[in-house]
Amino acid sequence: MAEFSKQLERLEAIVRRLESEDLDLDEALKLFEEGIERLRVAREQLSQAELKVKKVLEIESPS
Amino acid sequence: MGARLDLFSAASAEGAWTVGEVTKRARAVIEAGLPPLWVRGEIAGFKAWRSGHWYFSLRDQSAQLRCVMFAKQNFMLPAPSDGMQVFVFARPSLYEEKGEFQLTVMELLSTDQGGLWKLAFEKAKAALTRDGLLDPARKRRLPPFPRRIAVVTSPDGAALRDIQAVIGRRWPIAELIIVPAQVQGAKAEGSVCSALNRISRLPVDVLVVARGGGSIEDLWAFNTERVARAVAAMPMPVISAIGHETDVTLCDLVADLRAATPSAAAEAATPDRVEVLQQCGVLGQRLARALRIASRHVVERLDRTGDRLVRSMDTRLEKSGALLTAHSARLDALSPLRVLGRGYAVARDENGKILKRVAQLPAGKEFRLRVTDGEVNGRVQ
Repeated sequence: MAEFSKQLERLEAIVRRLESEDLDLDEALKLFEEGIERLRVAREQLSQAELKVKKVLEIESPS
Repeated sequence: MGARLDLFSAASAEGAWTVGEVTKRARAVIEAGLPPLWVRGEIAGFKAWRSGHWYFSLRDQSAQLRCVMFAKQNFMLPAPSDGMQVFVFARPSLYEEKGEFQLTVMELLSTDQGGLWKLAFEKAKAALTRDGLLDPARKRRLPPFPRRIAVVTSPDGAALRDIQAVIGRRWPIAELIIVPAQVQGAKAEGSVCSALNRISRLPVDVLVVARGGGSIEDLWAFNTERVARAVAAMPMPVISAIGHETDVTLCDLVADLRAATPSAAAEAATPDRVEVLQQCGVLGQRLARALRIASRHVVERLDRTGDRLVRSMDTRLEKSGALLTAHSARLDALSPLRVLGRGYAVARDENGKILKRVAQLPAGKEFRLRVTDGEVNGRVQ
């Protein structure tokens, strides 16, 4: 799964681009579709319920 | 006393004490007569042995006492230096191997500038400052959406439970990597350093170093220069939450962020999932709105293009019109009527054939002459 912060950054970039630029309808639609997909993935990531916990044992003999 | 002392018989093997017997007896007398007590004086000839044991003298203007402080008593204590005024709690005894009267020190407190701890703290802090490790410009920003969060703390302390609970509530998207360490006692310094060393090789976005409250001795590992330097060298941002809010350790000072409690450190390390979901909602709305606006732009542009097309057609028609006028003017100029208008005339026979040559016009020949405003009859003479 892509990193959440990258997902959100890309989403923000898409929204800004769509808001600011005079785009072809084709390109606007493409951006919109990508934005919706990224939004869906981001929401899915956010809905993950369980914190994953991993214990790493320390190296016993301190140098 | 009255009897004469028989030196020779007293000096026999049976009558004399061995050295060992004397020192043993003297030691017993001293230990029985002088219970552990507080002594104050100035430190002189301080020496720390590789074994960790400390040897020094305590002195005042008139006397001095040999002192030993064993490693198991001094392990967490910063070393004092010569000339320092101290209090020691010690057991007077006799070191039999050398027959020396000495104090076995169990506690050592400095009266100088807030004590040994404070002195050692200031000394280490000065060294860190000199190397620029406390420079505020070194502080790194925390990642807004961490993927992997590592925690160095005691595996069974309240600090870990608090951190786990807060991260689990706010940002369960993350993976929590716990690296247990001894956070107090003789091995704490080495244990914390080796945990940090371990984490520095893992792909971790942010690190929390935490320990619950305790006495300055309990927190001492986090006040050592070695731990402080290890924290400063971590490749990822570090949040430090050591002790209570009032205790600021060197670890806190070199960390990128200092949190008052382990829970606060966990909060600082994570965004709140609920807020991020709201943020996503807003982005979704903006996305939809932006598409509406973008498509409106496109429609407007289509309209504009249509207008331009019509306008260009008009222009072309206008141009063609002008051309037509010009052409007709030129046609007009070539019209025979216009030529007649300039004073020329055309002669034709009765069939309407134009008579252009002398041979066509013999004497007596009748013709019709066309001038600009009509025709007349004529005859060649």
